[in-house]
Amino acid sequence: MDPPILGDDAWDAGDMGCGELVFLLARRLGALRPGQVLKLTATDLGAPHDIPAWCRLTGHRLLGAEPPHYLIQRKES
Amino acid sequence: MAGKLCVSITHAKDDADKATVGFVVANAAVASAQDTLVFLSTEAVRVAVKGYADDIHEEGFAPLRELVANFVKGGGRIYVCSPCFKKRALDDQALIEGATIVGGAKLVEFLAAGAACISY
Repeated sequence: MDPPILGDDAWDAGDMGCGELVFLLARRLGALRPGQVLKLTATDLGAPHDIPAWCRLTGHRLLGAEPPHYLIQRKES
Repeated sequence: MAGKLCVSITHAKDDADKATVGFVVANAAVASAQDTLVFLSTEAVRVAVKGYADDIHEEGFAPLRELVANFVKGGGRIYVCSPCFKKRALDDQALIEGATIVGGAKLVEFLAAGAACISY
């Protein structure tokens, strides 16, 4: 069994959603080094669809998604 | 290969004509074998709640409930703007079939894949 992934940073976005959520998420992830992991909590109803879509669009890696919790790894460049 | 078309609708009972025509065009798109998305935002999110469209029947067109049902049966998808839905305190447990509450990234992903968009 793989060891649990520990996040390098955590952000509770509460019920923030849509453009505001991904805008601030981009900033938050941009502050990490490539390969580091952000633990995100987002309760917005759209987040279960939005977070995977945003990762596909930006190239960041969605390591895990159990709404409202998400693990996102910053892309290499 | 099917093209991608987004029909953006921003009205409900405040302008039943626009809400209806949006779905008429969306039905034309699915009937033409296009990958079609209806994006409901601002007032239009009300259309995604079961029962809301039941009494909308614009003269000269099929009832809105029928247009929406046909669109979904035809393979069309309906995205519902999350903050617009939340702002109006609507019931997410009462969504119509085929509707999904999403935020901006999901819409952007569809549009960025080369979708054309028409707005009502």
